[in-house]
Amino acid sequence: MPSKRPTARPVEGRRWKVEGPAPTQAVKSRESRVSASPHPAKPARPAPARTTDPGPRTPDPGLGPRTPDPGPLGGRHVRPDATSKVAGLTRYVGDLALPGMLHAALATSKVAAATIAGIDTSAAVAVPDVVSVLTAKDIPGQNLVGVIFTDQPLLVTDRVRMVGDRLAVVAARTPEAAWAAARAVTADLRPLSGVYDPVAAMAPGSPTVHESGNVFKTFRVIRGDLARARKAASVVVEAEYHVGGQDHAYLEPQGCLAIPEGQRITIVASCQCPFYIQHAVARVLGLSLAAVRVEQAPTGGGFGGKEDYPSEPAACAALLAWRTGRPVRLLYHRELDLQVSTKRHAAVVRHRWGADAKGKLCFAEVETIMDAGGYVGLSTVVAERANVSAIGPYDVPVVDVKTHVVYTNNLFGGAYRGFGAPQVTWAAEATLDKLARSLGLDPLEIRRRNVLDARKRVLCTGQKLPGPVLAGEVLERATALAGWEGFKARRPAGDDHLRRGIGVSLVLYGCSLHWGGQKLDRSSAVVILQPDGSVIVRVGLAEIGQGNLTAAQTIAAQALGVDPSMVQVWQPDTTTVGDSGPTVASRGAHMSGMAILDAVARLRTRLDPVAAELLECQPSEVELAGSFARVAGQAGRAVPISRVAAEMASRRIEAISTGWYHPPEREYDPRTGQGAAYEFYALACHVARVAVDPELGLVKVEEVSASHDVGRVIHRDALEGQIQGGIVQAMGWGVSEALPLKDGVLQNPSFTDYVIPTSADVPAIKIDILESDGPGGPYGAKGIGEPSFIPTASAIRNAVCDALGIDVDTLPLTPPTVVAALGDRHPHAWVLEVKR
Amino acid sequence: MDLPINTVLRPASLAEALKLLAERPGARPIAGGTDLVVQLRDGRRHADVLVDLAKVGLAGIRDSERGLVIGAGTSMDAIAAHPGVRSRFPALAAAAARVGAWPIQCRATLGGNLGNASPAADTVPALLVAGAAVTIASARGQRQLPLEELFAGPGRTHLKPNELIVSVLLPSVRLGQGRRLVERFVKVGPRQEQIISVVCMAGRAIVAADGRIELVRLAFGSVAPTPVRARATERLLERKVLDGSLRHEALAVVQEDVKPIDDVRAPASYRRLAVATLLDRFLAEVARG
Ligand SMILES: Cc1cc2nc3c(=O)[nH]c(=O)nc-3n(C[C@H](O)[C@H](O)[C@H](O)COP(=O)(O)OP(=O)(O)OC[C@H]3O[C@@H](n4cnc5c(N)ncnc54)[C@H](O)[C@@H]3O)c2cc1C
Repeated sequence: MPSKRPTARPVEGRRWKVEGPAPTQAVKSRESRVSASPHPAKPARPAPARTTDPGPRTPDPGLGPRTPDPGPLGGRHVRPDATSKVAGLTRYVGDLALPGMLHAALATSKVAAATIAGIDTSAAVAVPDVVSVLTAKDIPGQNLVGVIFTDQPLLVTDRVRMVGDRLAVVAARTPEAAWAAARAVTADLRPLSGVYDPVAAMAPGSPTVHESGNVFKTFRVIRGDLARARKAASVVVEAEYHVGGQDHAYLEPQGCLAIPEGQRITIVASCQCPFYIQHAVARVLGLSLAAVRVEQAPTGGGFGGKEDYPSEPAACAALLAWRTGRPVRLLYHRELDLQVSTKRHAAVVRHRWGADAKGKLCFAEVETIMDAGGYVGLSTVVAERANVSAIGPYDVPVVDVKTHVVYTNNLFGGAYRGFGAPQVTWAAEATLDKLARSLGLDPLEIRRRNVLDARKRVLCTGQKLPGPVLAGEVLERATALAGWEGFKARRPAGDDHLRRGIGVSLVLYGCSLHWGGQKLDRSSAVVILQPDGSVIVRVGLAEIGQGNLTAAQTIAAQALGVDPSMVQVWQPDTTTVGDSGPTVASRGAHMSGMAILDAVARLRTRLDPVAAELLECQPSEVELAGSFARVAGQAGRAVPISRVAAEMASRRIEAISTGWYHPPEREYDPRTGQGAAYEFYALACHVARVAVDPELGLVKVEEVSASHDVGRVIHRDALEGQIQGGIVQAMGWGVSEALPLKDGVLQNPSFTDYVIPTSADVPAIKIDILESDGPGGPYGAKGIGEPSFIPTASAIRNAVCDALGIDVDTLPLTPPTVVAALGDRHPHAWVLEVKR
Repeated sequence: MDLPINTVLRPASLAEALKLLAERPGARPIAGGTDLVVQLRDGRRHADVLVDLAKVGLAGIRDSERGLVIGAGTSMDAIAAHPGVRSRFPALAAAAARVGAWPIQCRATLGGNLGNASPAADTVPALLVAGAAVTIASARGQRQLPLEELFAGPGRTHLKPNELIVSVLLPSVRLGQGRRLVERFVKVGPRQEQIISVVCMAGRAIVAADGRIELVRLAFGSVAPTPVRARATERLLERKVLDGSLRHEALAVVQEDVKPIDDVRAPASYRRLAVATLLDRFLAEVARG
C-alpha cells in the first residue's frame, strides 16, 4: 500500500536543493548555550515520512504540522534508563545467572610471537570443578573470527601473533576454577623474533607477522600537482608525530552469556553490534544465521571497543555452551581486557605542508602508519577514515595522503571513538600552528584564512560539501566563547609555577560509514502501537550508554505526537529487527531515527484513516501532536491518540509496522581517494585553555569551549552529555593515558597505572550548539558521538605548546614527555649531569 | 571475587588480636584492606587467615606530653580533618588528604600505609620530617622504633609476623623566640586525585630570625626502595643562611640522596628533575619566609 505521504520529505528536500547560502544566513539563529533556558523555543518541524527512496525531492509545502506544537524534539526529558542505572537496577551480563550455568575462562599466550609446538590441557582438565577444556580441534564450524578479513583464528593452532592469542577455553562450575584451569593450560611455544615498531615493520627484511607481509594495505588521497605546489609555497613545515593508542576503559569489561537450546543458541552480549556476533557464532558453530539469536544486553560503555571485539568472547562462550549443553557466561577481568581487547591505533604521522606568504595552504603531504597489531580486525576501516580526514576542514588545492595499515606483534588496533580521525587531526592541527608560527600569524588567523566556506566547499576528496559550510562559524563562536582575543591580548598570569596557554582545533566529521562500508549502512525499526496508545519501538542500533534509547524515544514520540513516556524503546535482538550494522560512527540516532520515521509513516497509512473517521475529516488532514490526532490547523477538533489506538485494536487493524532506511549510493574511487566518502558532514571547533607546570611537566586542562554544528538537536541533555564525555575522554588520551609495551606485553594493565581522568580532572566545559538547515538525518540531525572527541586532544596540545613556546609532537603529554620535550631548557636540566 | 582467603577473624581487643597473631602462623592483620585486598587478589601477597583490626580500638588521635599520638587504625580522612594535625603537622594533614581520593581516605589507615611499606606511601615522608616514632606491640610486650628503621625494602618492614603497629608518635615542636617553621608536602602525579605518587616530598625547616636554618628535614617518596630522608642535603643546609649558590648546591647534593629507577610511571631522569624542582621550590619558600 503506498504511503499517504510519499512526498513529505522536507528534510531530504532541503538536502538536495540548498546550495549553501553564506554561513551566517544558513544558521537559523537557534544556538543556545548550556546555561540557556532548558527548553529553548524551537520551531515546529514537519514530520518527514518515507525515507527509503533517496532520490531528490521537492518538499511538499502543504505538509507538516500546521497546528504549532513543539513536541519533545530538542528538549530535556529524563532519559528512560536513567533511574534504573542510577539505582543499580540495570542487569548487566555480570548480573545474569541461570540454573546450571558454567563460567568460562580463556587460556591465552603471554608472549607475542611464537610457533606452537603443542598445547597440553591435561592439568587444566584435572582442576576440580572443571567441566570442559576445548582447543581448536573442538570447533564444529570454522576456526575464524574477523568482520572483514579472516586472518584471525578463534583459537590458535600453529602460531602466536599477539599477547592474548587464545590457546584454549575452559568452562567450570566457578569462575575461580575456570581461571585456575586456564592458567594450568601449558603450551610449547617456540619464540620467534617479533616486530614491535610499525615503522620498522615496513622495512624490507623485518620479521613478518603474516606471510603476506606486514603492510596490509595503503589508502591514498591524491589531488592536484604536487611538484608545482611545492614550488609555490613560501613556507614548508615538516614534522613527524608519534601518537599513542588508547584503551576504551568502558566501565563494564567484555562479557557475554551463551544459552544453548537444542539446535540453536541465544547469546546475550555487552556489545555494539549483535549482528556481528550472530555472524561470528554461526560461522564458528556451523549454524545458519537464523539459528543464532543475539540479544543486546544493557551495555556499560563501548566507545568502539565493543564493535567487533565482542564476537571473540561470544564465540568462545558459544563453543563451550554448545559442547557442554549448558549456559556459559564469560566475563573478562580488567587486566585481561586491557591487554587483549582492541585499542585505538598508535600511529606515526609524517607531514610536509606548505603555505604561501599570506598563510594560504598550498599543499599537504601526509603519511600515516597505523599499528594494527597481530590481526587486521577493523584496521582497514579505521585507516579509511583517517585517510580522508587527514587534512581537516581546510581548503587545500593539492593533497597527497598515504595511510598504511601495518601488522606488528603489538596490541590489537581497532575501533575507537573517532576511528583514526583523532590521530590525523592531532597532527594536522599541530602543523597548522607550526605554519602560523613561521609566518608570524595567530593560530586563529591562519585557520580563518584556510577554512572551507560557502565559496570554497571542496574537500580533499574532491567532494563538494552540500548545504551550509559552517567551519568559519564554529571557529569564530568557539574562540569567542573561550575569550581568545582577550587571552592573546593579556595572557593570564599563573601563580609561581604555572604558565597559561590557549589552543584551537577544528574537525570536519563525515557522518556514518565511509563509502567502503556502505553495504553495512542500513537500518531497521519496528513500531507497535498498543491498544492503550503506548508504543513499542525496536531499532537495530544499540544503547551502549550514549543515549540511543533516549534519541529513538524522542524521535518516535515526535513523529507520533505522543509524550515520550508513552514510548518504550527496547534493545536490539537479531530475531526482532533486521541487520542494521554496528552502533558506531555517530550513526545511532541518525540511523535508528530514519528507520523509525519510515515505520511511523507506514503505520500512519493505517492509522490516519481510522483517525479521520473519528474526526470526520480526510486522512490527509490528520495530524498527530500533543497526544492527539487532530484536524490540521484546528486544535479544537481532536481525539486522543489512545482512542485511535483502541479503535484500531477493536477493528483488528494491523498496528505493527516496520521501517527501513539506507542512505543514497555514493561514488568514490579508492585508488585516488576522490569521491563522496561520506553522505554529509558535521563541523566543530574546540578551544582549550591550560595551565602547565613546565618544570614538573604537569598539564591541567582548565577549560574547553566547544562549538558544534549538529544540524538539529534531538535531545539536549544527551547531546551535551556526548560533548562533555567526548572532551573528558579525549583529554585522557591527549594527556595521561599511555600504553607502554615491552615485546607486546602491556606494562600497566590496571587502572592504577593506566591513568584515565577522574571527576577531579574535568575542566570547565562551555558548549555552543548551532542548528542548521543542511543535509542530515532525522529532522536534520547529524552525529555527535565522535565530533565531540576528535578536536579536543589537538586543542589541548596546541594550548600546551602555546604555554611553553615549544613543540611537543608526542601524544600523550604526560609529565615525562613534556619535560623531555623541554630538554636543556628545563631550568634544572643540569642536575642530570651531576657526577654521583 | 577471586580472593584466596579461608578465614577472617574479628578480635574485639588488641590483646586478643595479638594472641591470634601469635597462635596462627600465616595470619595477617587487615585494617582498611585498601592495599591488602588488591594484593591478595593479584597474588602479590598471601594470607590463610586475616585478623581484622576494625574492632581492636586502634583508631583515634590524642595529645600526650611528648607529642601527638595517632592510633594505627586512624583513617586518612580523620587525620586530614584533625585540627591538631592540621595546625601542628601540616605536611601530614596534606599527605593524608592526597592518599587516593576521599572514598579511599575513609577506609585507608595510617597503620596500613606503614605496614604496606610502599616506596610511594604518601604519609611516610611527612612522618619522617616530623621525626615520628612507631609503637609496636606483640603478645609479649611493646617496643618503640624510629619510623626510618621500620622499612626493609619495597613492600617489606622489620615487623615480625606476630607484631602490630599500635600508634605513631609525632613529637611536639618547640619554636624558640623569633623562629619560623616552614612545613610542606607536595605530591607529583599525572592526575589530580587517585594517583600513586611519581615523586612526593615533605620538608620541614626552622629558620632563625637572622635567616640561619636551625633545623631542616627533607624526605622523598618514590625515589628509592623505601621513602628516604635526604640526609646529605640536610647536612649541607643546616646552620647556614640560604642564598642562590647554596640552593644550587643543594639541588646537586640531593641527587646523591635519592636512587630513582625507571618504571612504568616515569623514567629515573624525570624523577631526578622532579626532586630538584620540589626541593628548589621548598627552599624558595624557606628563603622567602
Ligand atoms: C584506589 C587506591 C588508591 C590509593 N592511593 C594511594 C595514595 O595515593 N597514596 C598512598 O600512600 N597509598 C594509596 N593507596 C594505598 C592504600 O590505600 C594505603 O596504603 C592505605 O593507607 C592502606 O591502609 P589500609 O588500612 O587499607 O591497609 P590494609 O590494606 O588493611 O593493610 C596494608 C598492609 O598493612 C598491614 N597492616 C595493616 N594494619 C597494620 C597494623 N596496625 N600493624 C601492622 N601491619 C598492619 C596489613 O597486613 C597489610 O600488609 C591506594 C589504594 C587504593 C586501592
